[in-house]
Amino acid sequence: MELICTLIVFLPLVGSIGAGLFDVTRKTAHRLTIVSVGTSFFLSAYIFKLVALDGILPFSNNSSNVLTLYQWMTLGKINLEIGFLVDALTAMMMVTVTFVSWMVHIYTIGYMKDDEHNWLNNSLAGKYSYQRFFSYISLFTFSMLMLVMSNNFLQLFFGWEAVGLVSYLLIGFWLQRDTAVYANLKAFLVNRVGDFGFLLGIAAVLMYFNTLDYKEVFLLAPSLENLNIEIFPGSEWSAITVICILLFIGAMGKSAQVPLHVWLPDSMEGPTPISALIHAATMVTAGIFMVARMSPLYELSSTALSFILIIGATTALFMGFLGLVQHDIKRVVAYSTLSQLGYMTVALGASAYTAGVFHLMTHAFFKALLFLGAGSVIIAMHHEQDMRKMGGLRKYLPITYITTLLGSLALIGTPFFSGFFSKDAIIEVVHFADTQGRFGAGFAYIALLLGVFITALYSFRMFFLTFHGKERMDEHTKEHLHEPPFVVTVPLVLLAIPSVFIGGLALETMLYSDFFKSSIYIMQEHQAFHDYHGVVSFVLHGLTQPPFWLALAGVLTAYFLYIQWTELPALIQARFSTIHSILMDKYGFDRFNDWFIAGGARKIGNVFSAIGDMKIIDGFFVNGTANVVGVFSQIFRRMQTGLLYQYAFSMIIGLLVLLVWFVHF
Amino acid sequence: MNIPMSDLYVLLPEIFVLTMACIILIVAVYIPKQLMELNYHLAQVTVIGAAILTLTNLTESSSIVMNNMFIHDPMSILLKAFIYLITFTVFLYSRQYLRARDLYKGEYFVLSLTALLGMQIMVSAAHFLSLYLGLELLSLSLYAMVAMWRDSKQASEAAMKYFVLGALASGMLLYGMSMFYGITGTLELQKISEVIATGKIENTLLAFSLVFIMVGVAFKLGAVPFHMWVPDVYQGAPTAMTLFISAAPKLAAFAMLMRLLVDGLQGLHTDWQGMLMIMAILSMGLGNIVAIAQTNIKRMLAYSTISHIGFLLLGVLTATKEGYSASMFYTIVYALMSMGSFGMILLLSRAGFEAENIDDFKGLNERSPWYAFIMMILMLSMAGVPPMLGFWAKWSVLNQVVASGFVWLAVVAVLFSVIGAFFYLRIIRLMYVDKPEDLTKIVVAADMRIAISINGLGILALGLFPQILFQLCMNVF
Amino acid sequence: MITLVFYCLSAILVFAAARVITVRNPVQAALFLVLAFFTSAGIWLLLEAEFLAIALVLVYVGAVMVLFLFVVMMLDINTDSVREGFARYFPVGGLVGVLILMEMILVLSSTFFNKKAENISLDVPLVDNTTALGRVLYVDYLYAFEIAAVILLVAMVAAITLTLRNRKESKRQYPEQQVKVTRAERIKLVDMTSDGN
Repeated sequence: MELICTLIVFLPLVGSIGAGLFDVTRKTAHRLTIVSVGTSFFLSAYIFKLVALDGILPFSNNSSNVLTLYQWMTLGKINLEIGFLVDALTAMMMVTVTFVSWMVHIYTIGYMKDDEHNWLNNSLAGKYSYQRFFSYISLFTFSMLMLVMSNNFLQLFFGWEAVGLVSYLLIGFWLQRDTAVYANLKAFLVNRVGDFGFLLGIAAVLMYFNTLDYKEVFLLAPSLENLNIEIFPGSEWSAITVICILLFIGAMGKSAQVPLHVWLPDSMEGPTPISALIHAATMVTAGIFMVARMSPLYELSSTALSFILIIGATTALFMGFLGLVQHDIKRVVAYSTLSQLGYMTVALGASAYTAGVFHLMTHAFFKALLFLGAGSVIIAMHHEQDMRKMGGLRKYLPITYITTLLGSLALIGTPFFSGFFSKDAIIEVVHFADTQGRFGAGFAYIALLLGVFITALYSFRMFFLTFHGKERMDEHTKEHLHEPPFVVTVPLVLLAIPSVFIGGLALETMLYSDFFKSSIYIMQEHQAFHDYHGVVSFVLHGLTQPPFWLALAGVLTAYFLYIQWTELPALIQARFSTIHSILMDKYGFDRFNDWFIAGGARKIGNVFSAIGDMKIIDGFFVNGTANVVGVFSQIFRRMQTGLLYQYAFSMIIGLLVLLVWFVHF
Repeated sequence: MNIPMSDLYVLLPEIFVLTMACIILIVAVYIPKQLMELNYHLAQVTVIGAAILTLTNLTESSSIVMNNMFIHDPMSILLKAFIYLITFTVFLYSRQYLRARDLYKGEYFVLSLTALLGMQIMVSAAHFLSLYLGLELLSLSLYAMVAMWRDSKQASEAAMKYFVLGALASGMLLYGMSMFYGITGTLELQKISEVIATGKIENTLLAFSLVFIMVGVAFKLGAVPFHMWVPDVYQGAPTAMTLFISAAPKLAAFAMLMRLLVDGLQGLHTDWQGMLMIMAILSMGLGNIVAIAQTNIKRMLAYSTISHIGFLLLGVLTATKEGYSASMFYTIVYALMSMGSFGMILLLSRAGFEAENIDDFKGLNERSPWYAFIMMILMLSMAGVPPMLGFWAKWSVLNQVVASGFVWLAVVAVLFSVIGAFFYLRIIRLMYVDKPEDLTKIVVAADMRIAISINGLGILALGLFPQILFQLCMNVF
Repeated sequence: MITLVFYCLSAILVFAAARVITVRNPVQAALFLVLAFFTSAGIWLLLEAEFLAIALVLVYVGAVMVLFLFVVMMLDINTDSVREGFARYFPVGGLVGVLILMEMILVLSSTFFNKKAENISLDVPLVDNTTALGRVLYVDYLYAFEIAAVILLVAMVAAITLTLRNRKESKRQYPEQQVKVTRAERIKLVDMTSDGN
C-alpha cells in the first residue's frame, strides 16, 4: 500500500521529467505522460475503493492512514518530513485529480496538435512546446497530489506553491504574447498575496501548536480553543480564529475568492486544457480542500466561519453577474467557475464541509466538461473565441453540442443531474445555518438563491448564443466547420457521464454517511444532514424549493432573450448602461490593482533604486568610504615634508607622547 | 681570563664573515677588471659558508658565551638562516642593476658583508653593549650603501636623512640603555630581567628608560612616529640598496625587539604592551592610508612596510610565546615578500631607467606574462589573500591577538588591511588590464630569472603548506 | 671645596652649552663646544674618572672638534639664511625641550632623594683607571672591542667609497714596465708589395 501511494504521487513526476528534460519526440512525450497519469488514476481508484469504500487503513499493516516517507530534518522538537495521510477525503481528491488530469492529457493531443502555428519562427520555446506542455501538466498532477496527500503543513505548503508555479508556467505558456505574460504575472502575484497570509497562518500554527503534523495539531486544537493573543495592541483575538482566517486568506488566493479573484478570468489566456484542469477542477479547489481538511480547527472558530461565509457569498453572487456580460466563451465559463467556487466556500462557512467537498467533486466534472467543450468549439472555429461570431453550431458539432448541454444542465442544478444534488444541499445547509443564527448566513442564503437564477441565465445565454440561433460566422470558417477528432470528443463523453450520474450515486455516501467521519469534523450542533430518504425523495423535496424554480426561470429568460427576442439584450444594455459599464469594468478591481498595487510597487521600487541603492548604498557607503580614505591619504601624505628637522622633531614629539602617556609620575 | 675554544666555535660564522669581508676588501683592490665577478662569487661563498657553519651548530637550548655577550639559541639560528638566505638572494638580484650603474664594486660586497655581520651580532645579542654595537655596525654599513651612488642626488639626500635620524635614534637608545645600567647595575639582558623581577625597583624609572629604548627599536623597525626616514630612504636609495634594507635588517630589528623586550624586559610587559599598541595602530593606519596616494612604487612599498611593521608589533604585544612565534613568522614572511617585490622592480630596471613608478608596471602581462604572474603572487601575498603565505602570516598574528583578548585591536587591524589591499590590487590591475606604456624587451639574466621565479612560487607553495615554516617558528619559543 | 669647583665648572658648562646654540658665528659655536667639553672633562676628573676625562679631551676636543672647525672654516656657510626662522621655531622647540627637561628632573629627583645610589663594589684590587679599563676592555669585553674595531673599519671604507674619485692619472713613466718590454710587443713585420718593381 505504501508503494502504491508512492507510485501514485511520483509517476506523474517521472513522466514530467521524461517529457520535459530530455530530447524526446512528441509521441514519446504524450505516451509517457499519459501512461503514467493513467496508471496513477487506476491506482487511485483502487486506493479509493480500499480506503473510502471499504474503510481499510492503508499503511503499517492496516493500522494507520498516516505514512512518513522521508524525514527531512528536525528542528529541536519539530519534525519536517514528507508523508502521506490517506483517508476518505484524500482518496476522493486523488481520484478526481487523476481522472480529470488523465482526460485533459488525452484531450491535449488533439488541442496542441497544430501548436507550432502559435509561435514566431525559430523560437526555441516553440520547437518543443508540445513536449513542454505535457511535462507541465504532468508536473501539475504531481504537485496537486503532493498537496492533497500531505500529512503536514509544510508539505501542504510545498504542494500549494508548486501548483501555483505550474499554473504560472501554463498560463503564460504562449510566452510570446504580451497578454499571456501579463496574465501569468498577475496570477502569480495575486496568489503570492494569498500565500503570504497562508504562510503566516502556518507560522502561527507552528508557534502555538509547536508541530506541523496534522494529527497532532487536530489533537491539540480543542485545548487551545480559549487561547487569546494580541495582534494589535489592545485588541485580543482568539488564536484559532487568527490561524483560521490567515489560512483562509491563502485559500482565497488559490480558490479565487473576492478580492483575490482577479487572476482567474485572465488565466483564460492559457490553452483551454489547462483552464479545464487547473482552473476548474483541481488547483482552485485546493483552497476548498484545505479548509475541509482543517475542519477540526475551523469548527472552533465561528468568527472565521462567518468570514468565510460572507466572502463566499459575495463571490458567488457578484461573479455571477459578471458572467452575464462576457463575449468570450471561455470567460463565461471562467466567471461561472468563480461563482461556483463561491458556492463551495459558502458551504464551508456553514460548517457543511461535506457539502462543499461534494460540490467540489461534481463541479470538477461538469466544469471540466464545459471548458473542454468550449475548447472543442474553439478548435472547430479555428481559435475564434468570441460568441458574437458563433451561432447555430448545433448541426456542425453534434457531440460537443450534446455534451455541453449535459454539462450546462448539471451546472444549473437540473434535478437528477449531479449539480442539483450538491447545489441544493448547499442551499439547504445555508438556510439551516441561518436558522441556527450564524452571522452572515442570511445574506448568503439570499445571495445563493439569486445566484441560481443568474447561473442559469448566463449558462444558457452561452449555450444559445453558441449552438442555436443565427449563424454569425464568416463563410470561410463555416466551410471548415467539423467535429474535432476523437481525442477531443472522447474525453468530453467520458466527462459527461459522471457529470450526470455521480451526484445521485454519491449523495448518500457523501452527505449522509460516515464516509468522512475520520476526515472531517463537524460539531454536533452544526450538523445539518440528518434524514436521508433516498435520491428520489431528495429530488421531490427539491422540486418544492425555490432553487429549482429560479433555475427554470433563468433558462426561460435566456431562451426569450437570445432565441426569441434577440433585440432585447441590446436594449437592456442601453438602458442600464451604467450598471453595464460597471460590470464590464469588473467592478474596478483590475483598475485599482493596476494603479495602486502595481503602480505603487513600481514607484516604491524606483525610490529604493534611485535613492536607496544608488545614492545611499553605492554613493555613500561604497564610494563614500573610498573617497574618505582617499581624502585622508592626501592629507596625511603631506606630513612627510621632506625636511629633515621636521622628521627629527616628529621623533621627539613621539618620544614626548610616550613619556607622558606611559610614565606615571 | 682565557676565552674557551668552545666559545669561539660558537662564534665561527661571525669570524668567517669578518675574515671573508676583509679578504674581499683586499682582493677587490688588486684584481683586474676582467675578474670583477670574483668579488660576487667570494661574497656568495661567504654567505653560504656562514650558513653551513650556523646550521651545523644546531641547538635546542641557549648558551651564552663571551662573557655573557653572545647568545646561541634556536631563535638566533632560525633568524640567521633566513638572513643568510635573503642576503644570498639580494646579491643575486642586484647584480644586473649594479653593473648597469657602475656600482658593482668590491666596496658593495664588503659593506654588505659587514652589514651581515652586524645583523648576526644583533641577532645573537645577550648584552646591551653587543646589541648596540651590532646595531651601529649594521646602520653604518647601510648608510654608506645608500649613499654609494654618488651621482644620484636623491641617494645622497636619502643617506643624509637616514644618517641623521639614525644617529638621533641611536642616541636615544643609548640613553635608555645607560638609564637601565644606572637602575639595575648591569648591562646583561638576563641579569636585568632578574633584577626587574625582584620588584625592588620603582616602576616609574623603569618605564622612563623603557620609553627611550623603544624609540631606538621603533626607529630601526620603522614604526610610527619614528618612521619618517622610511619613505625617503626607500625611494632615494638605489633600488638594490632598498632591496637590502627592506628585507634582512627587518629580521635583525625584530631580533633586537625580541632580545630587548622579551629576554631583558619581559617583566615590564605591562608597560611596553601599551606602547607597542599605539605604535602598531598608528603604523597600520598611516602606512595603509598614505600608501594609497603614492605614485612611486618604492615609496608605496615603503609605506606598506610601515603597515606590515604595525602588524608585526601586534603579535609581539600579546606578550605570549605564541604571539612571539606568530610575529616571527610574520617577519620572515614579510622579508621574503619584500625581497620578491623589490626584486621585481630591479628586474624591470635597466641602464638609465629606474622602474620606480607604478605606471611602469602597466601592461606587464602583455610584456611578460610570467613575471606579471610572479608579481601578482607577491602582491596578493602582501595584501593577505589566501592561499598565499601573507594570509597565513596575518591570520596567525590575528589569531594570537584575539586569543589574548584584544578583539577590537584585531578588528582595527583587519579594517586597515582592507584599506591597504587597494594599492596591492591596483598593481595587479595595472599589470593585467592596462596597456603597457613602455614596450622595451625585458632582459633578465638566467640566474635572476630562476631565483625570482623560485621566490614567487615559493611564496605560493609555502602558502599552500604553511605548516613547515610555522612549525619552525613555534619551535623557537 | 670640591662642591665649589663642581658648581663653577657646571655653571661654565651650562653657559657654554647655551652659547653653542645661540651664538651667530659657527666658529664661535664650535669653540664654545670645546669649552663645554673641557669643563665636562673637569667634572669627570672630580669623579676620579681620569681616563675618561683625558680621553674626552684627547678624542672629542683633539679629534672631533678639530674636524668640526676644519669643516666649518672650509665651508663658507651663510649663517644668516641658516639661522632664519629660528625665532619662529624657538617657542615650540623650547617648550619641548623644557618639558623633557622637567620630566627628567622629576624622574631623577624622585629617586635621588629617596634612595642612595648603590655602591658598585669592585672585585679586582684597586688599580688606576687605565689599567682597570685595559683589563676589562681586552679581556672581558673583547667581543665588543672587536666589533667596535670593525665599525671603525666600516667607517673608513664608507668614507673612501663615498668620496674617492680617481683623478685622471697624470702621465708618467713606469720604468719597471719599460724594462720588461719584449721585441714582440714593439715590432710588427708587415708584408707588402713595394712601390716600383
